[in-house]
Amino acid sequence: MAGIELCNINKVYGNSFHALHDLSFDIRDGEFMVFVGPSGCGKSTALRMIAGLESITSGELRIGDRLVNDVDPKDRDIAMVFQSYALYPHKTVRENIAFPLLMAGLPKTEIASRVDEAARILELTALLDRRPALLSGGQRQRVAMGRAIVRKPAAFLMDEPLSNLDAKLRVQMRAEIASLQRKLNVTTIYVTHDQVEAMTMGDRVAVMKGGVLQQVDTPQNLYNRPDNVFVAAFIGSPSMNLYEAVLNGTTLTLGSNSFEIPDRVFEYRPSLGGASSRRVIVGIRPEHMNDAAIRPSSAEISAPVTLVEALGSESMVHLNIDAPRVDAGDPDAVADIGSKKAAVARFSPKSLVRAGDIARIAVDAEELHFFQPDSRTSIW
Amino acid sequence: MHRAARLNVSGVLINAAALVLVLSYALPYIYLLMTSIKPAADVQQIPPSFFPAVVSFENFREVLRSSTLPRAFVNSLTVAVLTTALSLSVAVTAAYVATQYRRRVTTIFLLFALVTRMVPSVALGVPLFQLLKSLGLLDTIPGLVLAHTSAAVPLALLLMSAFFEGVPKELEEAARMDGCTRFQAFRKIILPVMTGGMAVTALFTFITSWNEFLYALLLTSEATKTAPIVIAEYNSVYGLAWGAMTAAAVLYSLPVIIVTLALQKQIVGGLTFGAVKG
Ligand SMILES: Nc1ncnc2c1ncn2[C@@H]1O[C@H](COP(=O)(O)OP(=O)(O)OP(=O)(O)O)[C@@H](O)[C@H]1O
Ligand SMILES: [Mg+2]
Repeated sequence: MAGIELCNINKVYGNSFHALHDLSFDIRDGEFMVFVGPSGCGKSTALRMIAGLESITSGELRIGDRLVNDVDPKDRDIAMVFQSYALYPHKTVRENIAFPLLMAGLPKTEIASRVDEAARILELTALLDRRPALLSGGQRQRVAMGRAIVRKPAAFLMDEPLSNLDAKLRVQMRAEIASLQRKLNVTTIYVTHDQVEAMTMGDRVAVMKGGVLQQVDTPQNLYNRPDNVFVAAFIGSPSMNLYEAVLNGTTLTLGSNSFEIPDRVFEYRPSLGGASSRRVIVGIRPEHMNDAAIRPSSAEISAPVTLVEALGSESMVHLNIDAPRVDAGDPDAVADIGSKKAAVARFSPKSLVRAGDIARIAVDAEELHFFQPDSRTSIW
Repeated sequence: MHRAARLNVSGVLINAAALVLVLSYALPYIYLLMTSIKPAADVQQIPPSFFPAVVSFENFREVLRSSTLPRAFVNSLTVAVLTTALSLSVAVTAAYVATQYRRRVTTIFLLFALVTRMVPSVALGVPLFQLLKSLGLLDTIPGLVLAHTSAAVPLALLLMSAFFEGVPKELEEAARMDGCTRFQAFRKIILPVMTGGMAVTALFTFITSWNEFLYALLLTSEATKTAPIVIAEYNSVYGLAWGAMTAAAVLYSLPVIIVTLALQKQIVGGLTFGAVKG
């Protein structure tokens, strides 16, 4: 077991594409770290560099205090679970799981008992003599996990291990992997582009975009205190609604609507106040907009309703807020919300608003997020 | 009802077409078989008959009595086996590197390997003769093996490249994570996965060498004559010995048939690339 330390890691591919820019962070011993970000942001590249499958252009990579920049993958004491599982098709499940132990030169009896134990943990005992071709997707995934845990390595690396499973199995395996990791207490890096996986599984989450690390923090902190507009929009579903607005003293003007920002906001965001007529990007999470008819508030805006999606436990209300919308730069977000134009509010199912209405919306003004319009970083 | 009937009609048509196809390939061979078991005197009978009037193994006794054909068989077999082994070791390793570590130079390399296939072997025969002569390898087994290997490697390379393309890169990477060096990953994981593909390649290489005529004619004279040469000579040296020739040809075709049948499973598996999935 060991921590992993990345220090100013850069990756420039052979075609001179600069895939990673000065990546730096520490992963503590036993920590479950998730890399998340839109497609092509360099998550797999970072993981493969830690694995040793991709060379490091510059920077330093340490595993348990050992500089491993030029250490062969086999000598890094790391196990990896691939998106395609990469099971050895000519070997049985038993032989697949035993292979890393065989390569490590362990005695036969030791191998047998360790394989049996891994199989028991992953409920593979009945399948030990089958070949991968005869297994279901979920079973293959377990075998891939078995091959990783059987070695008791210094760290696990997993590159979107659940993306080939159907939604239900994915939720189940998500919980199993997380609890297995906690039980084994092995440092783990888990790559996903699914922010729900990231939030539910990780002790900490590293959000990346375009080869640049945006923020590393606990899921709660990423959600509550995003460092910039991209993280704010990427974490949370539906995404945070982001608009250009003007703050004049304590009055926020959002399109044709204005309301007062409570004093408490200026207490924990000291650098927000003071200025008169200052341009800001304001972020409102869907759950912080409610039907004013049900939960009145001192900060209210009105906006036409374009669509109501009743989900039973809540209603997703699409609103046409007449302020300039801010594009957070997350390519996946568009598909996520469907309509790029609309703001989304999470109303109580008791709300009676319908498409076509002009709704009165109570904004939870204490929960607003504020960002600099130029640097797009948080204003604290 | 209707649907089932129609399916049946098309089924019959497909089977009939398959039968015609098989017969058009098999008939000449069946005729060869039939001729070989006729008495020598009946072989050139006019009008010719398809089936033998009397079954006789006279022709077989004749070709096996002389020492020429058995010796040519041993030569053919030795050359074909060595050619297969040599071609495969060259093609498998080269194709693996060319496909897994793709660079512009490896693409060019594969292309050039193909170009050598396009030059007619007659054109290569004379320089090859000179080359082997200066090496002192004329009329030797190693000489002919080298010549056959040069002819067989391009196709073997191409086949193996196609098979390797079907192997996911993660397989090697997983093996390396599991404690293998690159070479161990190749030997312990990639090669076993490729048995189907290698069987197909080996078979094609074996047949190429086994059937090869022109280089054998140019590059051997006495000691290392291969069977195709000896069989052809039945019509010159011994006069017109059609009967003996057919018997020798039947014997000569047997190893290929046996090997093909033995490797049938791997060949089908290899050709459908099913072996690598999982
Ligand atoms: N071998 C390579 N040569 C050149 N560029 C590459 C290579 N591999 C990846 N890239 C580029 O590097 C960038 C990062 O790729 P990477 O595979 O790390 O993305 P990712 O975050 O894992 O995306 P995804 O979620 O789609 O898996 C991409 O723009 C990709 O096109
Ligand atoms: Mg990836």
